[in-house]
Amino acid sequence: MDLLGVLWRSFFIQASWSYDRMQSLGFAFALAPVLRRLYPDRNELGERLVRHMEYFNTQPYLASFILGAAARVEEDRATGRDPAADPGELKRTLMAPLGALGDSFFWGSLKPLAAVIAVALLLGGAWWAPVLFLAVYNVAHVGLRAALVLAGYATRGEVVALLTRYNFTGLARFFKVLTLALAGAIAGTVSAWVPLFRPPVPVHGAMLTAAGVVLALGMIQLLRAGGSPVKLMLGLAAACLLLAMGGLG
Amino acid sequence: MAGFDTHTMFQVLTAALLGGLIGLDRTALGQFMISQPVVAGPLTGWALGEPLTGLVIGGMLELVWVLDMPIGTFVPADSTIAAVAATAIAVIGSPGPMRLPEVGFSLLLTTTMAPVTMFADHLMRQRNAKLPEFAAAADGVTEARVAIAHLAGLIAFFVKSFVLCLVLVPAGLFALSWLVKLPEVVHRAMTLFVTLLPLLGVAAVARKLSIRTMDRYLLIGCGIGAACVLLLHVPMPVAAALAAAAGWLGGRAYGT
Repeated sequence: MDLLGVLWRSFFIQASWSYDRMQSLGFAFALAPVLRRLYPDRNELGERLVRHMEYFNTQPYLASFILGAAARVEEDRATGRDPAADPGELKRTLMAPLGALGDSFFWGSLKPLAAVIAVALLLGGAWWAPVLFLAVYNVAHVGLRAALVLAGYATRGEVVALLTRYNFTGLARFFKVLTLALAGAIAGTVSAWVPLFRPPVPVHGAMLTAAGVVLALGMIQLLRAGGSPVKLMLGLAAACLLLAMGGLG
Repeated sequence: MAGFDTHTMFQVLTAALLGGLIGLDRTALGQFMISQPVVAGPLTGWALGEPLTGLVIGGMLELVWVLDMPIGTFVPADSTIAAVAATAIAVIGSPGPMRLPEVGFSLLLTTTMAPVTMFADHLMRQRNAKLPEFAAAADGVTEARVAIAHLAGLIAFFVKSFVLCLVLVPAGLFALSWLVKLPEVVHRAMTLFVTLLPLLGVAAVARKLSIRTMDRYLLIGCGIGAACVLLLHVPMPVAAALAAAAGWLGGRAYGT
């Protein structure tokens, strides 16, 4: 039951995110249900909470794994199974590698894949695409968060067990390939898109489609050369103005 | 626009409240991705009575910002505020069925406001540094103090997004009332801009996911999409499914 409380509170882990201590207060807040049971003495509970308010930052979803592991270490410490156990060391060891892993998997591959699926469907006139986006993303997100709290507790923070169970790196690479292929499909079909949520109109002639693809590749090159999306958006608007003045559009 | 009458003010307030609530999902609460433009835009449009505008704006902004990741101390541009504000400006400023020029103007207006949202986020996160001090009071740390200090951060995140929407939407409406008076050629340019914006989204995604401009999976997807449009005349979901299948097969063949 305590772990359920930890899981529920893990969704709030970034509520007080700040530059200097980042998720420190959130970690203490999320672990509090376990600490409360293990340390009935008010002063001891306060001391353990202070311990968990030290600097902490990782990818918020994978923080669940560290929370589960810290709960187990605290339990071993409080019950005398391992009185010298130090959850602080565990947190310091795990937060950076799991942060990098989670950023790459969730922010860098799962989210873009879900987004590109949703946008591809939107361009096809599917009003329900945002619902699918939320479903695709959150089945993985919420399911993993729950599983990670339990895995962290069961393995006491054994990262090798985590990586054996979930091939995050391989999945991330695979998702990126899918995302790129779907993004390409969007570029290839955008000439047929009418932003009025009707099915795309058939396009006669390859010139318009080819122009769309060339424009997309040109913008990739401009972004590589140091352009920002904001600047490119303004540049695209200016280019559209010139095209409209020239009779196109 | 009929001016800032009671109805308009009520709509602005609705958008600001929604922006504040949806904005919580961005960092502070859950991160269920309700704050992503593709969801935040339609939700705002639905609340204001024109979901179609929100769908178009959300879809356009989603790919442009999706890989701007909050890593370490980096705070990316607030795409949630951009989607909520752009939708609110387009819907309130142009009552009735969606008009693409107004959508284009709204997207440009909120994009230029991105630095303001980043600065507000920066200020709020600096202010949050005081919360652990509150929890660690002189008479000792208690669970209740930790909870109060921590959850106070939720209020700060809500207020930041709420106030930003409350300021940016009326400012955008004021600007839009001038922009719509521009010549017809500018309106046509904005329609073209909205139509081409998905290409910038594709470019932003490809730029972050591949080290090559001519990435083979991107080009395979382009080829399949083009073939579906030009030769097969099949709907976009079919083109997307075929491109995904090709990516899947290619990924397996190259060991990814």
